[in-house]
Amino acid sequence: MATFEVAALRQEFGGRTALALASLEVREGARLAVVGPNGAGKSTLLRLLAFVDTPVSGTIALEGRRVASAAERRAARRRVTMVEQRPYLFRGTVLGNVAYGLHSRGVPRSEAGERAAEALARLRIREFAGRDTRALSEGEIQRVAVARALAVEPVALLLDEPVSGADRAAQHALFEALAEEQSRRPLTIVFASHLLEDAYRWADDLLALHQGRASPVTPENLFRVDLPGGTPMQIVKVGPLVLQVVTDRQGPATLAIPPEEIVLSTEPLHSSARNVLQGRIVRVAEHGGAMRVTVDAGIELVSLITRQSFEEMGLAVGGSAFASFKSVAVRVF
Amino acid sequence: MSGPGGEVVGIAVLSLKVALIATVVACLLGIPLGFFLGWTRFAGRRVLLALLNTALALPTVVIGLLIYLLLARRGPLGALGMLYTWQAIVVAEVVLALPIATALSAAAIQAVDPRVRRTALTLGAGTLRTAWTVAREARFALLAGVVVAFGRVLSEVGAALMVGGNVRHETRTLTTAITLATSQGDFGLAVALGLILLGLALTVSVVIQLLQGHGDV
Repeated sequence: MATFEVAALRQEFGGRTALALASLEVREGARLAVVGPNGAGKSTLLRLLAFVDTPVSGTIALEGRRVASAAERRAARRRVTMVEQRPYLFRGTVLGNVAYGLHSRGVPRSEAGERAAEALARLRIREFAGRDTRALSEGEIQRVAVARALAVEPVALLLDEPVSGADRAAQHALFEALAEEQSRRPLTIVFASHLLEDAYRWADDLLALHQGRASPVTPENLFRVDLPGGTPMQIVKVGPLVLQVVTDRQGPATLAIPPEEIVLSTEPLHSSARNVLQGRIVRVAEHGGAMRVTVDAGIELVSLITRQSFEEMGLAVGGSAFASFKSVAVRVF
Repeated sequence: MSGPGGEVVGIAVLSLKVALIATVVACLLGIPLGFFLGWTRFAGRRVLLALLNTALALPTVVIGLLIYLLLARRGPLGALGMLYTWQAIVVAEVVLALPIATALSAAAIQAVDPRVRRTALTLGAGTLRTAWTVAREARFALLAGVVVAFGRVLSEVGAALMVGGNVRHETRTLTTAITLATSQGDFGLAVALGLILLGLALTVSVVIQLLQGHGDV
């Protein structure tokens, strides 16, 4: 079942459209990254999904049930929790903060304390329990806020720029804790980020927003791989194919091949490109004067070329093409 | 109590009693009202806030006059027989302190970080708990409003004089006694009473600060 089903969702601020989303489905247990530049509508979407803001029009269903009335929204807020980009911790102790949502649900005081302490332990910050919230650093506040959100065991957790203020180690720790939580129980996670890298590294699904709308320019040519390591020039299996990639990384990673780095030709190219794949053109879309050509070469690759090149080569859907790109053009995350 | 010392103590106790009761009543009414004004959005809210800010500057003698006319024997509330009683002073000072308590509470609530409300809501808090959380986050600003209101009624003289009448042993407060002593040229007594007034104000202020420190965990 889908955790969220969104249809014709629209939000406006001062007459300006902040978000216009035709549809969105977030399945249970998903890790959806909402990416886009600042002001793209990411926070707006999260606040609507958290049911703290009301849309101008459109519908949101939570676990198959439409959430519309004030009472339904109140009930839905007990199932979905959001962590803001700059989370606010109430005055008092860390434990008091983490137990807040449990108190709101009428959980007895002692049990709430225990469950709050467990939530802190899951974020590996159990020792923070007695601390005054005003004595915490930005990164610590972030982790306490995530513990506070997880303490109520929501069906969905919404995170707005969860790693914006954190260093690499803290980012890693946070995502590890979230992955652990997902392995423990069903949990849908939607996180907003202006950094594509976060999305590449951690999400299993992606929604790109641009000026409040789902952007057709979604980051493409992403592949999850297992890097063998050893030499800088690595031979990597991607589906049925073998690609050459330059990286010193090892283990699970995401490869991204920028569409503009992929050269299309009707004959195999003799060039410096180490990767030459033959395939069939399955889709062609015009986008701002350029052509987005999708070639199925065992894996689907999107190439961005000019309309002129497209026409001069006589390319067409169903036709054969060679896709070439250099090993150094492959980005590894 | 007897003797001039006893009389001074009686005056100080009455002053404190009147000021405390007036502050409590004004805050019981004003804080919820201010919370409502600072929290909700409705048509005419800005006008109300503007009127409230005007009321902050109401001259105390005008309030004294209004309450006097209300409580005078032939006034609408004359039957209560309250004129020239300490209760009349309380009524006048509640009217005086109410705009302060309301306006400062509204400002305190408006100044609360908008994330507080969102955070409470998203953690599943209902309307009441959310409101309580917002008030809790604003508690020092709210307390500051209480202190200002108390300071205003404790130091007030015009209205107390008009509706209380400065009746010896009955409605003579520190401020009205100072006025009388000064007009009679008894500057020694006036200064002594003034020092007591300052001491009282200081004591209450310190007590509130200690309370703040205690609640500030």
